[in-house]
Amino acid sequence: MRKLLLTTAIAAAMVATTPVVADGHLKIVEGDPLELTIQMNHRAYPVYEESWPVEQTAREWTNIHLKDVTVGANMKTDSENTGKTEALNLMLASGDIPDIVGSSRIKDFVNQFGPEGAFLPLNDLIDEHAPNLKKFFDEKPEIAAAISAADGKMYYIPYLPDGKYGRAYWIRTDWLNKLGLDMPETVEDYEKVLRAFKTQDPNGNGEADEVPYFVRQWPELIRLVTLWDGRSSGSDTYHDFMVEDGKIQHPYAGEGYREGIKNLARWYKDGLIDAEIFTRGSSARDFLLSENLGGSTHDWFASTSGYNKLSADIEGFEFKAMAPPASPSGKRIEEHRRIPIKPDGWAIGHTNEHPVETIKYFDFWFTEEGRRLANFGVEGMHYDMKDGKAIFKQEFLDAGPVNRSLYQVGSQLQGRGYFQDYGYEIQWSNEFALEGIALYDEGDYLIDQFLGVAFNAEEQKVYDRYWGSIRDYMLERQQAWILGNGDVEADWDDYTAQLEKQGLGEVLEVMNSAYKRQYGG
Amino acid sequence: MSSVTLSDVEKYYGPLRVVHGINLEIESQEFVVLVGPSGCGKSTTLRMIAGLEEISAGTVAVDEKVMNRVAPKDRDVAMVFQNYALYPHLKVFENIAFGLRIRKEPKEHIDKTVREVSEILGLTPYLDRRPAELSGGQRQRVAMGRAIVRHPKVFLFDEPLSNLDAQLRTQMRAEIKRLHKRLGVTSVYVTHDQVEAMTLADRIVVMNDGNIEQVGTPMELFTNPANQFVAGFIGSPPMNQFEGTVSANADGLFASVGNASIALPEVNNVQHGQAVIVGIRPEHISIHPVDGLPSIPIALDLVEPLGSEALLHASIDNQPLIIKAETHGDIEHLNSVSELYAPTDLIKVFDKDTGAVINSHPTGRIAS
Amino acid sequence: MSTATDKQPLPARRPKRSLKDRTTWLSDHIRNEWRLYLMLLPTIIWFIVFLYKPMYGLQIAFKDYSIFKGVAKSPWIGWEHFQALFSNDQFLRAVSNTIKISALNLLFGFPAPIILALMFNEVLHAGYKRAAQTIVYLPHFISSVIIAGIVITAFSPSVGIVNTVLGWFGFDSVYFLTKPEWFRPIFVGTGIWQEAGFGSIVFLAAIAGVNPSLYESAVVDGASRWQMMWKITLPSILPTIIIMLIIRIGNIMEVSFELIILLYQPATYETADVVNTFVFRQGLQSGQYDFAAAAGLFNAVVAFVLVMFANTLSRRYSRTSLW
Repeated sequence: MRKLLLTTAIAAAMVATTPVVADGHLKIVEGDPLELTIQMNHRAYPVYEESWPVEQTAREWTNIHLKDVTVGANMKTDSENTGKTEALNLMLASGDIPDIVGSSRIKDFVNQFGPEGAFLPLNDLIDEHAPNLKKFFDEKPEIAAAISAADGKMYYIPYLPDGKYGRAYWIRTDWLNKLGLDMPETVEDYEKVLRAFKTQDPNGNGEADEVPYFVRQWPELIRLVTLWDGRSSGSDTYHDFMVEDGKIQHPYAGEGYREGIKNLARWYKDGLIDAEIFTRGSSARDFLLSENLGGSTHDWFASTSGYNKLSADIEGFEFKAMAPPASPSGKRIEEHRRIPIKPDGWAIGHTNEHPVETIKYFDFWFTEEGRRLANFGVEGMHYDMKDGKAIFKQEFLDAGPVNRSLYQVGSQLQGRGYFQDYGYEIQWSNEFALEGIALYDEGDYLIDQFLGVAFNAEEQKVYDRYWGSIRDYMLERQQAWILGNGDVEADWDDYTAQLEKQGLGEVLEVMNSAYKRQYGG
Repeated sequence: MSSVTLSDVEKYYGPLRVVHGINLEIESQEFVVLVGPSGCGKSTTLRMIAGLEEISAGTVAVDEKVMNRVAPKDRDVAMVFQNYALYPHLKVFENIAFGLRIRKEPKEHIDKTVREVSEILGLTPYLDRRPAELSGGQRQRVAMGRAIVRHPKVFLFDEPLSNLDAQLRTQMRAEIKRLHKRLGVTSVYVTHDQVEAMTLADRIVVMNDGNIEQVGTPMELFTNPANQFVAGFIGSPPMNQFEGTVSANADGLFASVGNASIALPEVNNVQHGQAVIVGIRPEHISIHPVDGLPSIPIALDLVEPLGSEALLHASIDNQPLIIKAETHGDIEHLNSVSELYAPTDLIKVFDKDTGAVINSHPTGRIAS
Repeated sequence: MSTATDKQPLPARRPKRSLKDRTTWLSDHIRNEWRLYLMLLPTIIWFIVFLYKPMYGLQIAFKDYSIFKGVAKSPWIGWEHFQALFSNDQFLRAVSNTIKISALNLLFGFPAPIILALMFNEVLHAGYKRAAQTIVYLPHFISSVIIAGIVITAFSPSVGIVNTVLGWFGFDSVYFLTKPEWFRPIFVGTGIWQEAGFGSIVFLAAIAGVNPSLYESAVVDGASRWQMMWKITLPSILPTIIIMLIIRIGNIMEVSFELIILLYQPATYETADVVNTFVFRQGLQSGQYDFAAAAGLFNAVVAFVLVMFANTLSRRYSRTSLW
C-alpha cells in the first residue's frame, strides 16, 4: 500500500509538470470535470483505483474522472472465471448499474442483458461521436461482427490483444543433444524422441522417471490430436466450436480427432505421456522442469521460456520452442494463437446520463496518446519516447514482472476497451521466447480462429438445454479412451450416435444460424 | 456364613490419604452401618470392599479370603447405589435380571428368581415398566432387587435412601431392616444420617477424616461415646458440650463453667484446675429440681415445640446448649425455665486436648 | 407395598377464559417475560432473513429468470426447467450417483464416528486418549482444497503412497482418480477420514452423560467391558444416534460438493457426478440460475420427504424423534 501511495505521489508530481498534450485537444468536457462511475473487477486489480497514475493522466487530458463503485470485488479466478461472472451478476442484482462497466468475460454478459435494456447499444454513438473507434471498426469489420449481439448491435468496446503467438511446443534440446537426436519434424519423429526420453534416461539418474510429455492444463494433451489432423478447439477457449468450410463444426466429432485420440491412448499406455496428466494440475511445469523430469510440453512463449534460468541449477538445461511436428498428411499447424479479440472490455450502463461524453472517453483510448497510455503507462515516469517508440525505463523493467507492474499503475487493464501494442511485450520477452516466435513466424503455422457467435433468445435456449450435457459426455469419453477404459475405434459409432441423440445436431443448427446472421456466412 | 475383615486398609489418591488404616471385623449376618460426615472416607471404604476402588494398603477379606486382587464380580458382593443405577432402556424385569444374564444363568432360573424377588419387594405389577415410569421408592426397590437376585455373600449399600423424601425414607428404612431379617445376609451400609444408622445397624462404625472413631452397637455409642466427635455426631440433637475447669470439695468433683458449677461423677484421673469438656445429652437434663443436685442457672433463648417434647435453646456462660423437655401438652410453662439439673451419673467428661472420654461406663442409664 | 407417592393429583381443569381475560393475560405475560422474548429475537430474525426471505426467490425455478429483470418481473414458464431436468440423462445419473454416494456414506460413514467414540471411551490412559483424539479431529480443520491435494498425491500413480505400497506387494500402479469404479470408495473414505473424528465428539459427549454408577453397578454384577459397551453405552447413546441419523438422512442429497469438484474428472463423471456438481456445471457456471434453482428445489423436496419419513419411522419404533 505504501508503495502504491508513493507511486501516486510521484505520479501527481509528474502529471503536474509534464508538458505532454498541454494543448488540451483531448479534452472532452470544458469547465468542471465530469465524474463517471465505474465497476471494474479482475483478479489482479479487484477494484478500479482512482489513484493509478494512468487514471490521473487520463483525467488531466480528458477532464473526465472515473469514480470506483465496484460491487462484489473478489480476486477469485478459475478456468471458467466464475469470480468475474459473480461480481457482474451481483452488480446487476443490486439494481444499480454504474455509468461504465468493465470486466474480463463481459461479452456474453452484455450481449444477453444489453438487448434486455441493461446496457446501451453503441453503434450510433460510435458513428456520431467516436471517430477513432469508427475508423478501427471500419477497417476490421470481422471484429465488429464478432462482438455484436444477436440484435446486431455492439454493447461493449473490447480489449484487443496484439501479437499473434500464444502457446508453442517446447522441448529439452539439451536432452536431444545428449541422446544424439534431431529436432523432430514429423509426428513419427516426435514419438521417437518422446520414447527415447522415456527409455534412454536423458537425465542420467539411472531411473526411467522421465515424463516425456506433460502439461499444466490437461486439454493441452488433447491439443496433440492436431498432430494427426484432428482439432481440439476452434478458438483460444478449450473445447470450443470451429469453423470449417464456412460452417460451424465441433472438433470432437471429427475423423482426425478419432485418429488422434487413438494414438494418444497408445502414447499414454506406452508412458510417453505423464501418467498423472489429468490430476497433476498447474504446478506440473514448475515441478517437472525443476526436478529435471519433464521432456516436452505445449505452453505459453513468455512464461515457459523463463524456465531456461534453471540452467543455473541443472547442468546444460535448455528448453526451446520447436515447430509443430508434421501430421501424417504433412500439415504443420499450431492450433493455439492469441485471439485478435477478447470477450473482455467495457460497456455503458443504461442509466448513464452522459453517453456521448462516455463514448468520447472510450474513443480517447483509441487515440494515439490514449493507446500509448493504456499500453505503456505515463511518459517520463514509466517509459520514454525514443525514435517515435515508447521504450520502458530500465528501472521499470527491473522492478519485477512487467505486466504486474503495469497493472499497478493502471495500464494493460483487460477491463478497459483498448488496442494492445505488442511493442510493450517484446521489450521484456527473453531471447528464448523471441527465438521461438521467430521460428513460428517463419513457418506460418497459425490458423484462423472462431470468434464466437451471439445467440438470440431462442437459440440460447437450445444451446443451454443441450450443450452442457454434450460437452460432459465428450470429455468423459475422451478421458476414458486415453486412459484405456474403452477403445475409440470400437466405440466411435456409438459415440457419434449418442452425440446426435443428445442434440448435437440442434446445437450446431443454432450455432450456424447465429454464425450466418453475424458474419454473413 | 460369611464375614468381612478389613485389616489396616488405606486409600490414597495421589499423595492424599483419604482412609487411614482401618481395622474392622464384620460378623456373618451382621448389619453394619458406616456413618460419618461427608468426606470421612466411608463410601471409599465401601467401594474398596466392592472392588470399585483399588486398595492402596492393607487387606480386605471376605470369608477369610483376601480380595485385594479379586475382580468385583468374583467377590460375590452386590451393591445398591445412591442413584439406583438402573438401566433406563431396560424394563424392570430386565434390570433385575441383569446380573444373572451377565452370568449366563439358565433362562428358567432367571425367570424364577426374578419373580421370587419381585414378589418379596412388591414389584410384580411393575415388571413391564421402564425405570422412568416408576416412583422413587419403586426404583429403590428395583435397585435392591438387582442386588438380592444374585444371592451374594455380602450386600453393600451406598447411601441408598438419600435421594428419597423424609417420609419415604422412614418407610424404606423399615423395609430394609425387615428384608435383612428375612434374608440374613451380611450387610454393610453407608450413610451420613445418624438416625438411619441408629435404626438399622447391629453395629455402627463412626468414621471421621479417614479414621474409625468408634465401633459399637447403637446403644453403646449413645450411652458411651468414646470421644467428643462421636458424642457430637450420635443423637438427635447431639450431646451438649461445655468447657469447664475441674475443682473438688467435700461433696465430690465439680466443673466450673463460668459462674455455674456442675457436679461431676467419680473420675480418677483428673486434677484440680484441669480444663475439661463436660458433656450431657439434651434428654438427660432435667428442668425440675432433683434431690442432691445443684441448680445450674441458664439463659433461655427460644423454645421449639415438637409435640410431646420441646427443644429449649439456652446457654450457660455463653456456651450454647439444648434441652429436650416434655411438654405435657403445654409449652407456656417452658418459657420461664431459668435453671437446670444435670444427673451426675449421666455426665460425660472429655479430655480437652485429646477429646477422649475420661469416664467410660460399662453400662448406661437412659432417661425416660 | 405400594407407596403413597405413586398417586399424583389430577391437574385442575383450566377454566375457560373470555377474550378480555386472554388479552389481559397476554399483556401481563409479555410484560413479565419480555426479556425471554428479547433473547429469542435474534434467532427469529436470523430465520426470517436467511431462511424465509430467500424462499421468495424459489419461484425462479418456475420462471425464465433474468437477473436484470429481477425475480418479480421475469416471466413464468411453469414446469419447463423441471421437464428439461428430467429429460436429461446426466441429471438422472447425477441423482442416482448422489443417492449411491450418500448410501455408502450412511453405511460406512455414519457408524465410523460412533465406533470411534466407543473406542475412545475404552482408552484409559488420559494422555494417550487426548493425543489420539487430537490426531483424528485434525483433518476436520483442513480445507477441502488441501484435503483434495492430499488425496490426489496419496493416490498418484507415480509418487503416491498407495501405489508405492501396492508396488511392494507386486501390484501394478493404478491411476485411481481416473477410474470410475474407484471414485466412490476414495471419496467416501476421504470423508470418513476427514469427519469421523470430529463427528465422534457428539457421541463422546453423549457417552460422558451416561451415569457412571451404571458402569459400577455392572462391574459389581460381573459385566465385561465388551458387555458394558453393548448393554449400557450403546443403548444409552441410542437417542443421540437416532437424532444424528435423522439429520444425516435429511442431508442425503447434500454430498460434500467442493470435494467432488476438486477430485472428479470427466473420466469419473460416470460415478462421481452428483446433483450439486451437475447443477454447478450446467446451471451456475453458465448463469442459468433458474435451472439451478429448479434442481435445488428438487433436492430440497427429496430431502424433506426423507426427513419426514425417517422421523416418523423413528418415532414409531424407537420413541426418539426430532419433533
